[in-house]
Amino acid sequence: MKTGALSNWRYWIAHNAGVLTAVVLFAAMFTLYISNHSAGLTPAVATTAANKAVLLALVAMAQTLPVLTRGLDLSVGMVFVMANCIASTIVVGTVGEGLLGIVAVLLIGALAGFINGAIVVWGRLQPIITTLATGAVYYGISLFVRPGPGGDVQSDIADLLTGQLFGAIPAALVVLLVVVLVVWVPYRRSVLGRAAYAVGSNEQAAYMSGVPVQRAKLLAYTLAGVLASIAGLMLTFNTYSGEASAPIAGTYTLNSIAAVVIGGTSLFGGWGSAIGSIFGAFVLRTIEDLLFVFDLPPLWQPLFQGVVLLFAVSLGAFRILRVRNRLELFS
Amino acid sequence: MVKLIRQLLATTIAVGALATAAHAAGPEIVAGPSADAKCFKPWTPETKFFKFPKKEGPYRIALANGFIGNTWRIQMIQTAKAYSEQPDVKAKLKEFKVVSTGDDVAAQIAAVDNFINSGYDAIVVNAQNPTSFKPVIKRAKAAGVVLVAFDNTLDTDEAINVNVDQKGLGELWGQWLVDHLPEGGKILEVRGVTGTSVDRDRHEGVQEVLAKSGKKFETVEVNGRWDDGTAQKVTADAVAVHKKFDGVTAQGGSTGTVRALMDAGHAFVPVGAETENGFRKLCAEHSADGLKCTSAGSGPAQVAVAIKTAIAALEGDVVPQSIALPLAIDHDPDFKDGVNFYSKESDNFFVGNSFPDCGINFTAQEIMGQSKENQ
Repeated sequence: MKTGALSNWRYWIAHNAGVLTAVVLFAAMFTLYISNHSAGLTPAVATTAANKAVLLALVAMAQTLPVLTRGLDLSVGMVFVMANCIASTIVVGTVGEGLLGIVAVLLIGALAGFINGAIVVWGRLQPIITTLATGAVYYGISLFVRPGPGGDVQSDIADLLTGQLFGAIPAALVVLLVVVLVVWVPYRRSVLGRAAYAVGSNEQAAYMSGVPVQRAKLLAYTLAGVLASIAGLMLTFNTYSGEASAPIAGTYTLNSIAAVVIGGTSLFGGWGSAIGSIFGAFVLRTIEDLLFVFDLPPLWQPLFQGVVLLFAVSLGAFRILRVRNRLELFS
Repeated sequence: MVKLIRQLLATTIAVGALATAAHAAGPEIVAGPSADAKCFKPWTPETKFFKFPKKEGPYRIALANGFIGNTWRIQMIQTAKAYSEQPDVKAKLKEFKVVSTGDDVAAQIAAVDNFINSGYDAIVVNAQNPTSFKPVIKRAKAAGVVLVAFDNTLDTDEAINVNVDQKGLGELWGQWLVDHLPEGGKILEVRGVTGTSVDRDRHEGVQEVLAKSGKKFETVEVNGRWDDGTAQKVTADAVAVHKKFDGVTAQGGSTGTVRALMDAGHAFVPVGAETENGFRKLCAEHSADGLKCTSAGSGPAQVAVAIKTAIAALEGDVVPQSIALPLAIDHDPDFKDGVNFYSKESDNFFVGNSFPDCGINFTAQEIMGQSKENQ
């Protein structure tokens, strides 16, 4: 009995090693950051860090779902920016109207994700090509909605979700927690969620075993759209405005992939979790924050960021080097 | 439940109290003129004047830059560093910190927030987006922090803006093309970093003048990101597709733009662009072949004016909410070696780098030269 419990525990550690590495890495970096911060860990400092980190964490969660099915979503950043542009147009007015606008933005995000999934599943195109193309379309829509930066947002909702609860807890972290509990946990436990892992691990075997391959992929891409649009909403609440910025879309797409890798999710699919990606995103954001507390010459900062990023990705990528599916060794 | 509601109420009241205090922390709006009327010129006669509560020095000042990776920004940061090292400025500064956050506007907002949280007295920003800083402006005001935007300024009258007339610069380039192309024609417009106010204002200036001229102009727009490498690439692409342009305007990366034309064997045409030394070298060399240039721009040293403004505001001096700086303009056939361009020096610096009215007299060579020695 005792050995059983122990081996369960060891199994859990082995299974979550990727996530744990990201958590430890984040904890170490954040401690380094806070201990050198002139204000220390005040609610304001935590809120600033959280507001920035949660944006990337949500986009990284969005990226994780297609990656688990052995796909890749190059449009997450564009959906994020599109949601930002649309939200800066329709999440306005009274609190009620603002909430309606939020629902509309989420539906648009879901639709964008569904279109990606539909083309991948029924059009049988490579995910990377599909989402490169749809991403350009979504960016086009963003530009159409908001040709120049501007717009507004319902400021009560914005202040509530980017401020602090009870003057201490960053509200953005609560939003992230709610998203994890309402979207990720039920998804991970659902049949289609488990099917996504099976598809990513070995699509043919999953198909032969009667796993609903198509529905699993469709749901993964659709949820990715929803998560990216939540991030877009949060960006709008942070900036009170919208901007169709291609560099921002590109930055978030690439960083989301880096966050997924740091979080221990295999880019070959079938292994990993959105929780890891969240911490991967936190690690990436803390790398930026470290610039504040260390007096690096300004022109050396990008170099420093690159070196630390390389280090972090290498740690996360250890798991990618593992044999993806032992059965393949025999084939 | 009751407890929860009570807690919520308490928080609301606390936040309300904070907001009231915040209101008190902002600047007083007073009548002009400013303390240093020669340097701090108000943007319009209607511009408000601010008087912040006087703080005791030395001050902690931060520069939150966004995009980095072109010559202008590097020269700007070097100028900021050099200015903060000048003995009379250094005596007033306890700390001067520079951070560049790239394209991501959320990261730049977080950077400013971080400086506010850390108790900096003033923050100078080159904003990645003119509209997205509303919440930050609010928080800076609440914390009694002096916020000064320069170059890419903020669409607000609550923070201090320091800038040259970016739209006027676009108009100047547009007018140059109108004057040199009596028949109108096809124009290549090499734009800057998308989403920024400078890109928007310069573009509008160019387009308005072309439209108003009554001549038939067609423009092809590409994004050169104010960077020679990028501008050279997108110009080469545009020439490959459109074959022939009658005139060119570039917001930056001017040297690269002209080089791309030359590499493609494109004829020399009138160009309205920035003040890079390399661009002026080419203009002087090929003037006789038809490369008729106007070279005008906003000196990177405006960062020094922004820092000077921040210090003045902290010392309790009256400063305009919006400060206008002069443009550095030179055009064909007035390019003179050793005067307004330097044929023996590197291509990669902006010639116009001093604001004598503000006592800021760095030459670009000093700035870029110094950086090399430091590294």
